[in-house]
Amino acid sequence: MGLNEFKRYLTAALVLGGILVLGAYGFYKVRQYDLASFSIILESTILTAISIYLLIFLTLLIIRYAVLIMYSFMEHLEYLVKRNEESHADPISDAALPMITLVVPAYNEGMVIQAAVRSLLLLDYPNYEVLVIDDGSSDDTYEKSLAVAREDHDVPIRVITKPNGGKADALNTGMTHARGEFILNMDGDTKLSRNTLRACIRHFDNPSIGAVAGNVKVLNRDNIWTKLQALEYVEGLAMARKAQSFMRAVNIIPGPLGMFRKTVLQQAGGYDHDTFAEDCDLTLKLLMRGWHIAYEPTAIAWVETPSRLLDLLKQRYRWTRGILQATRKHRSAMWNPRKAGINFFILWYMLFEGILWPFSTVLGNLFFVYIGLKYGVVIFLFYWWLQLTILDIVAASYCVIVEEESPSLIMYSVGFRLFYITIIDISKVFATIEEWRGTTMTWGKLQREGKL
Amino acid sequence: MDLISILATVILITTIGTLVVGVAAYAAFKLRDKRRPKKKDPTANQNQFDNPIFLKRYDPKADQEA
Repeated sequence: MGLNEFKRYLTAALVLGGILVLGAYGFYKVRQYDLASFSIILESTILTAISIYLLIFLTLLIIRYAVLIMYSFMEHLEYLVKRNEESHADPISDAALPMITLVVPAYNEGMVIQAAVRSLLLLDYPNYEVLVIDDGSSDDTYEKSLAVAREDHDVPIRVITKPNGGKADALNTGMTHARGEFILNMDGDTKLSRNTLRACIRHFDNPSIGAVAGNVKVLNRDNIWTKLQALEYVEGLAMARKAQSFMRAVNIIPGPLGMFRKTVLQQAGGYDHDTFAEDCDLTLKLLMRGWHIAYEPTAIAWVETPSRLLDLLKQRYRWTRGILQATRKHRSAMWNPRKAGINFFILWYMLFEGILWPFSTVLGNLFFVYIGLKYGVVIFLFYWWLQLTILDIVAASYCVIVEEESPSLIMYSVGFRLFYITIIDISKVFATIEEWRGTTMTWGKLQREGKL
Repeated sequence: MDLISILATVILITTIGTLVVGVAAYAAFKLRDKRRPKKKDPTANQNQFDNPIFLKRYDPKADQEA
């Protein structure tokens, strides 16, 4: 057992010991004054404590939704004003647009790589190249990429193969070999909207912007799991990024679509290998260095999401542990609000979303189920579910209007709260416990279905 | 039994079911990951490191000269 692990277990033992001492003291007082049965007092104390906690959590949640909707709406208004101004300004000459390198890391993406690369040739931008990094694939990813590169087209395509070293390593290789002034990092299975490059590049007119995050949407909306994820991407991810963009502090540049100044990426040392959420880690590194990060809602990355429950859990397990690893890596900002500025809030917000929220929703469900079964007061569980579902429906309705998404997604808010998010939250809770215990983990590549 | 009570009962049953499914699914995911057979890669050497298959090795210097 290492020193760090010993410290973690010691902290947990001290907390549990403290609770036991308090319990023993309470028991002594109860016996002293003969107030009531100890078990009754203990139960009522615990239930009261949980009720107060859930009330505080609910208040935080309502504030969270209100702030996110308000900020994302302000960002939306700002975006509309800018677009209006741009329509009246002189258009930028194509010759003045800087070169962009699209880095496509690919590991065993043979099923989708050709469609992905071909789709990149259709982007509306005059000056860009495509750089495919084959990360030591054991399938025919390299040959298929080469075949597309040899076809006759105007956009230069280069294919580099290297020993398998993980996505971060592949993206760093792309950064080293990129010829463009700007780099767009994406996934091998991603399809970009045609306007992506033009939409993202205009943010860099502002010299304080170091990177731009794109809008990720679900492509394979085939079954209930992927449709629920489509709602989650719109409501949970896009809305949050839009709100964060109002403060120019997006906390995760998504792996499927992020554009960077090459110099900024190089100064930050590229991607690190020490977390399982390299995109989150890099974003935090840029924020800590003072760079602003914007969000471009019209630059859309269509991705294939897991269509089976176990694959979905695998993905979320990695995300949860990766984000916790990245947060822990930059934890110094959590205890230094004066120096960290907005990064202080970003890190605490990430912990709220990553740990407090899943724990609290699972705890709330268990608490109300217990109350319902033991005391027959099922109505509390209903109201608990109802108020969370109302929050989801309001947020989903707003996002569907702003994102011009299919209104049918709003209907999925009921199922989203009824079972989907509970299952996801349970896996997040377990993943958090495993991260705390330091359980080993692997990357775990998802099997593609080739829907691109 | 009024509508709210019926809905509340439905929510109660669904929540219990979801909690059970959530834990079971997580256990299944962990079990599947553990039981996955280790692939015998023919390119792996004695130390079990995968040797990359270079069909055409990229050489930046040669690329620049060209």
